[in-house]
Amino acid sequence: MKFKSQKVAYWFFASALLLLVLQILYGIIMGFARVGMEGLHEWIPFNTARATHTNLLVVWLLCGFMGSAYFIIPEESDNELYSPKLAYIQLISLLLVGVTAIVCYHLNIWEGRKFLEIPRPLDYLVVVNVLMFIYNIAMTMWRGKRNTTTSLVLFMGLFCAALLYLPGMIHFDNQTTDSFYRWWVVHLWVEGVWELIMGGILCFLLIKLTGVDREVVEKWLYIIVGLTFVSGILGTGHHYYYIGVPKYWLIVGGIFSALEPLAFLGMAMYALAMAKKGGRRHPNRIALTWTLGCAIMSFVGAGFLGMAHTLPQINMYTHGTLITAMHGHLAFWGAYAMIVLAMMAYALPLLTGRKLWDTGMANWAFWTSNIGMVGMTGALAVAGITQVNLERRMGMDFLVVQKEIEMHFIGMLLAAGLFTIGITCFIITFFRHGKPTDEAIGNDPAENPTYNVS
Amino acid sequence: MLSKSQARAFFFGGTGIFSVAFIALTIDSMRKLPNQTNSDNITEEVKRGKHIWEDNNCMGCHTLFGEGAYYAPELTKVVERRGKDWIRLFLKDPAAMFPGQRKMVQYHFKPEQIEDTIAFLDWCGKVDSNGFPAKPPLAQRLAATTPIAPAVLLPKPVPAIFTTAACIGCHSIAGEGGAAGALIGAPPLDGVSTRKTREEATAWIRDPQKIKPDTKMPDLVPAVVSEEQLTEIVNYLYSPATPQPVTPPKP
Ligand code: HEC
Ligand code: HEC
Ligand code: HEM
Ligand code: HEM
Ligand SMILES: [Fe+2]
Repeated sequence: MKFKSQKVAYWFFASALLLLVLQILYGIIMGFARVGMEGLHEWIPFNTARATHTNLLVVWLLCGFMGSAYFIIPEESDNELYSPKLAYIQLISLLLVGVTAIVCYHLNIWEGRKFLEIPRPLDYLVVVNVLMFIYNIAMTMWRGKRNTTTSLVLFMGLFCAALLYLPGMIHFDNQTTDSFYRWWVVHLWVEGVWELIMGGILCFLLIKLTGVDREVVEKWLYIIVGLTFVSGILGTGHHYYYIGVPKYWLIVGGIFSALEPLAFLGMAMYALAMAKKGGRRHPNRIALTWTLGCAIMSFVGAGFLGMAHTLPQINMYTHGTLITAMHGHLAFWGAYAMIVLAMMAYALPLLTGRKLWDTGMANWAFWTSNIGMVGMTGALAVAGITQVNLERRMGMDFLVVQKEIEMHFIGMLLAAGLFTIGITCFIITFFRHGKPTDEAIGNDPAENPTYNVS
Repeated sequence: MLSKSQARAFFFGGTGIFSVAFIALTIDSMRKLPNQTNSDNITEEVKRGKHIWEDNNCMGCHTLFGEGAYYAPELTKVVERRGKDWIRLFLKDPAAMFPGQRKMVQYHFKPEQIEDTIAFLDWCGKVDSNGFPAKPPLAQRLAATTPIAPAVLLPKPVPAIFTTAACIGCHSIAGEGGAAGALIGAPPLDGVSTRKTREEATAWIRDPQKIKPDTKMPDLVPAVVSEEQLTEIVNYLYSPATPQPVTPPKP
């Protein structure tokens, strides 16, 4: 840590972890509902649990991105954060909006559009909140001594994410139009601008952890985010195959979305190559493990499993089945959850001055959560393939097929238990670091040449 | 090897070009969309139905156009698949139609809300969704390899009352329908004349609970089926063309 104001990141990270715990809880409620244990149905029906689960996911990731930006931007622009007070106000108001939305879901108040369930009046508060955040970050960069590509890409990602939230707020009477613009938010976030955020954070971590020359890393960053947009923008078409828009989307969406894995492949290869090439042995090994893990798992979850169902001929049968849920879990985990956790693993020792890197607990956290998540994905994959074959290809009744695949959800719940143990270890490690302190300023091993072995 | 400024140019240039292409395709899609989705047919009823759909987050359990959750059936073609009468009856009390199954929320809709919801789902089903959901490609091949002896099937066409009264949702008749029946043990009606006498069957349909209090078949007479229609049903089930009892009927 170089600047006092970077400490705000800690509170964003801590809040993110709290929301993650709640997310897991609601996931487990749904898991049990799927094996026929619906005891909570009267109070938390499946649609409530699901909206809560996915919205908490998005909010904790945003919270983590904001925390990361509050840590990275001052450091990259060599300048205190413009207003830490604004950052705290923004965090508290974000949490209040989030909690209000979740309470609403339990009272059957929502907008009822997947991933954008949050009631319309709260949408406006989210916009105000994000504007405060963008303003704070922008002013910090504006006043900074230097502007790096890393901070620029990170900023562009955050700014475009805010901008793209708007099409999701327009009302349409036509369900097809409604769905068309809903994807401008959902798809162009996760397969577009969020990748910029991920790329920016990844780049920062690689520079710090491997010591590879900034110019080399940032050149690759441009190429990779370039690939993201070249493929990802028209790749939106893979959601337009079957919603009632012209057939040419089958061709456009099919071709360009099939190119999307290239960006993730690039990300994985570049991270591994940098780690190999870098001469520095940063003592925070676990942060590097999370960073490389993220680069690899995002390729597996988003690139490989996305490719598995993105061609229109295949998507015709897998569209809206558990295959989608399988891909959704590993993609969100690999690309976005892991990058936020990597950032936490890197920043915490620097914020608190306690060098708990590479403890047994921290390693357990990495391996159990990842093995657990791969297990969950595997269970969903088997359930999904069976569902596609029996229901979509052989024409058996939906509920009959669901009964057939119930067993796989017991497997999924077991894997979810392992995953939860991993996250618990992560949280214990997190809080063992204690609170952030000004005494930790200037203790970054990345700035200390004795750690450089070459 | 590419320099950093070339890499930057690739990023900004690529983003620019493909954003413009995307906007152009969006404009074209918006021009063609009203025709493809029959937007003229979006009546006030359909609009209200969409609000009901959103205000209750039906998408949190169901998919529509393949979007939503994977906990409950895909609904794009539900009106075609089940018929309006069946859905009317179902939405009044979802649990009664699928007792002991995975739960849907009981919304206590007013009759006009049910009509609005059905109008919305009906409009959705008529959108040209480029062939989604596809006819199950293996179903026909499967049927070809497991033939049902034609002698035991009831004659076609099946009278409309079996659809309007929702029998076909639970029972398979003349090799059609019966999707929900496998779960709750509703037998195909084709062989009923070999199992029950005409009188028994009539009494059963008139009030199933009276004969078997815990049965999962709902009481449909006279709510959905009038006495005349009941006669029509029984006449069809016991027409001369139906399979005859193997053993003499019980007294
Ligand atoms: C809590 C989850 C849940 C919610 C919310 C929900 N449903 Fe359902 N729905 C189900 C389940 C499960 C079934 C399968 C039948 C059963 O078990 O009751 C079903 C079946 C149906 C069917 C019959 C489909 C078929 O092919 O048999 C229709 C129509 C339907 N729902 C409409 C709606 C509408 C309209 C809404 C919103 C107002 C809605 N559902 C909300 C769970 C839900
Ligand atoms: C919600 C599902 C459902 C609907 C709708 C339904 N049934 Fe049934 N029906 C059943 C079930 C389940 C049984 C088996 C009853 C038992 O043994 O408990 C049954 C049994 C029967 C039997 C006796 C069959 C035998 O072989 O013994 C007849 C006849 C029958 N139904 C006729 C009808 C007719 C006619 C209609 C439409 C007016 C209808 N059912 C609608 C569920 C349904
Ligand atoms: C990190 C990146 C990604 C994340 C977080 C992600 C997440 C998701 C999620 C949550 C859904 C479900 C959306 C919904 O139905 O509302 C989805 C759908 C889909 N994704 Fe991704 N995805 C990513 C990358 C990719 C890539 C690179 C591809 C293609 C190669 C891809 C292909 C698809 C397809 C085809 C669907 C539609 C599934 C269907 O028809 O039901 N995804 N994705
Ligand atoms: C640990 C236990 C977890 C369990 C038991 C669980 C279970 C579930 C279930 C049952 C669904 C609903 C699928 C359906 O509609 O039928 C779901 C949806 C989803 N979950 Fe989880 N989940 C867990 C953790 C996570 C984590 C950690 C993430 C992200 C990193 C995540 C991301 C998602 C996403 C993106 C969806 C929406 C998928 C889609 O629409 O295709 N879940 N989850
Ligand atoms: Fe997508």
